[in-house]
Amino acid sequence: MMDDFESQLRKAMAREEPSPFFEARVLGAVKRQARERQASARLWWASAVAALLLVVTGAAWQHQRAVREEAAGKEAKARLELALKITSVKLQRISMKVEGI
Amino acid sequence: MRLAIVLLAVLPLAAQDIKMPANLDKLAAKASEVVDVSLDGALLQLASRFLSEKDPDEANVKRLIAGLKGVYVKSFEFEDRDGYKESDVEEFRAQLRAPAWSRIVGTRSKKNGDNSEVYVKTEGGQISGLAIIVTEPKELTVVSIVGSIRPEDIRDLGGHLGIPKLDNVVPKSDKKDKKEDN
Repeated sequence: MMDDFESQLRKAMAREEPSPFFEARVLGAVKRQARERQASARLWWASAVAALLLVVTGAAWQHQRAVREEAAGKEAKARLELALKITSVKLQRISMKVEGI
Repeated sequence: MRLAIVLLAVLPLAAQDIKMPANLDKLAAKASEVVDVSLDGALLQLASRFLSEKDPDEANVKRLIAGLKGVYVKSFEFEDRDGYKESDVEEFRAQLRAPAWSRIVGTRSKKNGDNSEVYVKTEGGQISGLAIIVTEPKELTVVSIVGSIRPEDIRDLGGHLGIPKLDNVVPKSDKKDKKEDN
């Protein structure tokens, strides 16, 4: 009974040669993992740069839009004032004629 | 049924805004000075955003244009007397027909050759449009304002916002005061 156990233990603890290309497989797996980590890091940076570009482009577009809108608004205001000026002066003259002054 | 047909035929005409005739644009080539202002509802809203509430004059204009849908002004000055013909404004005048439009003022000066007409459009007892035609020997001015506005409100802008105030024009508010004083 005891001999049987020892025999099994010896067999289990016996030195066994690695399977062929074991070292190459292990090194390959390590390199693959390193490549995957690098690709993941590159993807992260690319995403971060893209997001930053998107934010910067969006802010620049928004700024340009605000600048254009302000210019258009000021132009519209100036034209409105000119229209009101002409209309007011004409109405004042008509008013003077009507009132016989 | 007949009434419905008549209403269907008349309502679109009543709702239609007057158009600046294209023939007026041709006068620009002959004129020495041209002012052509065309502000639709969107541009008026945009202009309104740049009128300050803190400045009393600008705040007044802001309130004034709040009910407007369009402001169109064409003014031509000519070197000579025959720069334009009376028929040039006829197409514009023809649109100012009763019952929607009524002429509230018409002045004619044989001496100076100045003529002016003021028309208002009323809908439901409210003014919904204002049109002005002023013809002088060397000047022609046509104004169309779409929306709720009273002529005296624009006239009384004189003296404000850089608009000259002609002498002897009594503002509406002063007239009231004078009446109350008497």
